[in-house]
Amino acid sequence: MAPDVIRCANLQKSYGKTEVLRGVDLVIPTGSVVGLLGTNGAGKSTLIKCLLGLLRITAGTATVFGEDPWDLSAATKARLGYVPQTVKVYPWMTVRQVIDYTGAFYPQWDPQWCSELLRKWELDGSAWVRNLSGGELQRLGLILAMGHRPDLLVLDEPAASLDPIGRRGLLRSLLDATSDGTHTVLFSTHITSDLERVASHVAILGNGVIDFFGELDELKDSVKRIRVHSAADLPREFAVPGSLRTEIAGKTAVVAVAAVDAKLLDDIRSRWDVSVDVEDLNLEDIFLELHDA
Amino acid sequence: MAVEPKQFRVAPSSGVPIFRQIIDQVAALVASGGLKTGDMLPSTRELAKALEVNMMTVSKAYSRLEADGLVERVRGTGMRIAAPPVNRSLADRLQEFQAHVAPALHRARQLGLSDEQILSVIHQTLRGRPDGS
Repeated sequence: MAPDVIRCANLQKSYGKTEVLRGVDLVIPTGSVVGLLGTNGAGKSTLIKCLLGLLRITAGTATVFGEDPWDLSAATKARLGYVPQTVKVYPWMTVRQVIDYTGAFYPQWDPQWCSELLRKWELDGSAWVRNLSGGELQRLGLILAMGHRPDLLVLDEPAASLDPIGRRGLLRSLLDATSDGTHTVLFSTHITSDLERVASHVAILGNGVIDFFGELDELKDSVKRIRVHSAADLPREFAVPGSLRTEIAGKTAVVAVAAVDAKLLDDIRSRWDVSVDVEDLNLEDIFLELHDA
Repeated sequence: MAVEPKQFRVAPSSGVPIFRQIIDQVAALVASGGLKTGDMLPSTRELAKALEVNMMTVSKAYSRLEADGLVERVRGTGMRIAAPPVNRSLADRLQEFQAHVAPALHRARQLGLSDEQILSVIHQTLRGRPDGS
C-alpha cells in the first residue's frame, strides 16, 4: 500500500472569479485520522469535493491513492467512502432496504458487517428512514459509506447538525469503526472539541491555504501562550521571534508563539530580564490565535 | 493485579496532549503506590474504548512510558509496570529531581517566601511522608 493516501500540491479552486482554495499543500499518511478544521466558508467542503472528484480543480495537482481525483478508476472508487454533510436517502425505504439497495452497487459489499454495525449502533433495520432522528441518519450514512470497507473514509461536517449526545455517539461509532488502524479518515469540522478526541492529525484551513498540518499532539506541544512579567515597563521594541500575536500592557506582555522550547524561554528571560510563564492552549485557543494573526 | 481502565480520566479539550495526560496519570499512580511493580496496564484497545479516544493516542503514551523505563512490554500480554530503575546514575536522578523543584521554587519566590520558609516546608513535607517510598 502506498504510504500516502492523499497528496495535493498548490491545489486551487475558483468559482468564476471567486478564489476559494488558493494553493493547498497536503499529504495525508495511511492510517491517520485527520480533522480538517476551518471557519465557516474557509473551503473545507470544496477541498473535500475536489479530492473526491466531485468538483474539478482549477490549478495545481491532487492525487488520491495515486490517481487524479477527476479520473478515478472503478477500483479506486471502491476504496472510498463518503458521508456528505446532509445524508440524503429515500425516506420511503426502511433502513434495511436502503442498506441492501446501496450494497447492490458494490461488488465487495459486506452485508454481515452492516448487520453488525446496525446492532452495535442501535439502529432498527425495519424503521422507516423518514422517521430517523438526525443522529440515526448520520449513523446510517456512516454504515452506507463503510459497508464496502473502504480504505479512505471522508466525512463532511459529520456532527454539525447533532446535539451533544448525538455527536458523542457518532464520534464513538467513528472511533469504533477506525480502531483497527488500517483506515484513513478525513473529516471536516468547525467544532474543535470533536476533533480533540478522535483525530491523530489536524489540518487547519484558513483563507484557502493550509495554515498547519501535523500531529495534534505536536501542535499542542508547540503552540503556547506565554506571559511575560517585568520589574519595569517593557520597552516598545519588545518582541519574541516567531510570535503569532503580541500584546504589551505596561510591565506585562502576552505573546502567542508558534514554536516554544526551553531555549526560546531562556533567551527571553535573559535578553529582557523578565519572568516568563507558559500557558498550555487547547485546540480552540490555538485555532483562534492562528486566525487572529 | 491489573488497573481498571476506569481509573484513568482525560480532558481532551485541555492544552496538554491526551497521550501526555495518560503518561502523567500512570506516573502518578506509580508514585502514589496505586500501581506496583508487576501490575498490568489495561490493553491499548480497552483504555482507548474507556476514554473514548483514538487508539493511536494510547499506544503513543504506552510507547513513551516504555521508552522511559516505567513499564515493560510483555509479549502477548500487554504492558507491565517495571521495577524502579536502580542502574541510573545519582547525578542523573538528581538532575531529574531538580527539574521538578525549579518551578516550585520559582513560585515560592513569587509568593514572597524566604529560604528558611521554603526549607521548613520541604522538611515538613518529608516528615509527613514515609521515606523510601
